[in-house]
Amino acid sequence: MFRDITFGQYYPVDSFVHRMDARIKLLLAILYLVGIFFVTSFVGFAWLTIFLLTAIFVSKVPLKSVIKSIKGILVLLIFTAILNVFFTQEGNLLWGWWIFNIYDEGLKFAAKMMLRLTYLVMGTSLLTLTTTAVDLTHAIESLLKPLSFIKFPVHELALIMSLTLSFIPSLIEETDRIIRAQKARGADFDTGGLGQRVKAFVPILIPLLVSSFRRAEELAFAMNSRCYEGSTKRTQFRVQKLTWRDAVGSLFQLIFFVAIFLVFAMQTTWANVTWLYF
Amino acid sequence: MDAIKLQNATYNYKIFNDDGTQSYAVGVDDVTLDIKQGEFLTLVGHNGSGKSTLAKLLNGLFLPQKGSVIVFGMDTANEKNLFEIRKNVGMVFQNPDNQMVASIIEEDVAFGVENIGIPHPDLAERVHWALESVGMEQFAKRTPHKLSGGQKQRVAIAGALAIKPQVLVLDESTAMLDPQGRKEVLAVAKKLNKEFGMTVVLITHFMEEVLQSDRVVVMQRGKIIATGTPQEIFEQRALLEKAGLKVPRTIELAQKLKESGWAVEDTADAKSLGEMICRLL
Repeated sequence: MFRDITFGQYYPVDSFVHRMDARIKLLLAILYLVGIFFVTSFVGFAWLTIFLLTAIFVSKVPLKSVIKSIKGILVLLIFTAILNVFFTQEGNLLWGWWIFNIYDEGLKFAAKMMLRLTYLVMGTSLLTLTTTAVDLTHAIESLLKPLSFIKFPVHELALIMSLTLSFIPSLIEETDRIIRAQKARGADFDTGGLGQRVKAFVPILIPLLVSSFRRAEELAFAMNSRCYEGSTKRTQFRVQKLTWRDAVGSLFQLIFFVAIFLVFAMQTTWANVTWLYF
Repeated sequence: MDAIKLQNATYNYKIFNDDGTQSYAVGVDDVTLDIKQGEFLTLVGHNGSGKSTLAKLLNGLFLPQKGSVIVFGMDTANEKNLFEIRKNVGMVFQNPDNQMVASIIEEDVAFGVENIGIPHPDLAERVHWALESVGMEQFAKRTPHKLSGGQKQRVAIAGALAIKPQVLVLDESTAMLDPQGRKEVLAVAKKLNKEFGMTVVLITHFMEEVLQSDRVVVMQRGKIIATGTPQEIFEQRALLEKAGLKVPRTIELAQKLKESGWAVEDTADAKSLGEMICRLL
């Protein structure tokens, strides 16, 4: 039942983007997320398209896999498009019936919004497609490190994330086992109304919860036995090293995004940023 | 020299009954045992005989309620000693899945070494050495959940080994494995004992695993009921049966053959016993 769930969506090939440092990729993804909201014209989106396509091409991830990631937000996309089309009351009236009026500005606005959301998801999934969950965890730990000065438990947070990742496969296996055991005793998960089906999952969740606690206790014993005493005087096995790829990759993205910010600064002032409606 | 000394160590489990009262279940009851440096000690016992509880006393995971446990001259009751004690007593548990802290094998093995504050390049060297010692170096960059049980348990041993302990405790580490996996883990334990002179404490309920050890300790209801070489233990069949243990059939056959004057050796391996018999015929 749960066999085919793989964690994350990492696409295992060896490419320029795959080999870039996870920390740099994470920072660049954040820059991308911010930058995308500063693109206001279709010309800007054309530039963004060039950037995104180049990045996808260099990453050797098939374009299809990247586009597939939009599936998850399809409903949201259509919903925002419809809302924007009907609620923008500017420009020339193109079509009207009863209370529904479509203006040309509304169409443009909806198109930009859809592009923005689509590129947002495509860009971020390029990060998860080219970076393993483990690498991302390490990157987050390393980037959050300055926060440990204000007593923020960076190391503990990273350890929790990495433990969670390493326990997902065994928990999936365990769930699978419990489901089969309950089915063998005549449990029925596939018929009945929604209420009944939800109720049928209780005999799965309770054994799973109990066994998770047992696992947690054993894990604590195992960690204690291996001299774990928190973050004091721990060393790090993983060495994160920046290479020329990180410099080239960052430079490439910076060229595009500095241009985007410059254009934005020239054509508009902060006062009339109307698109930032949420 | 003694690596670990248990003196009248007692550890009982508190049980909270449904009616609000408390009672105790025996874990380890007044056990005195010296574990010598460099020996291969096997601790056998039926379920609930207290062997796992005893294991957890050895590195201070549990503290004795009465008596004491002294590891290389350090008392486990003193919390300041625990770090040093755990550096010297490595432990591997029953379920390999519950001991993995990282989702990449070499990072999991590195966990203990990171904890004791070893910097690079020693850190990488130790990880490599530990994986090599258990024959898992080619899996260093893979994820553990795709390995077989025996391989996972070897990775867990490497994780303990990388800290370079003097004593390795295998707390029912073979209990969940198939015969092949058990063989792998035992071979690694034997190798560590022979090549590096590491003290190995093997805890098991499989009597076949007793054979290769220097000394066997049989436990029942928290108490030690017999100590001796494997041969001496196998001869006390009545006592073993009382403790809920059974002499493996091959060894029983070998012993009966010996009694009737055949020159065979004790072995748990049916194939090698067969070969020995064939040679004699």
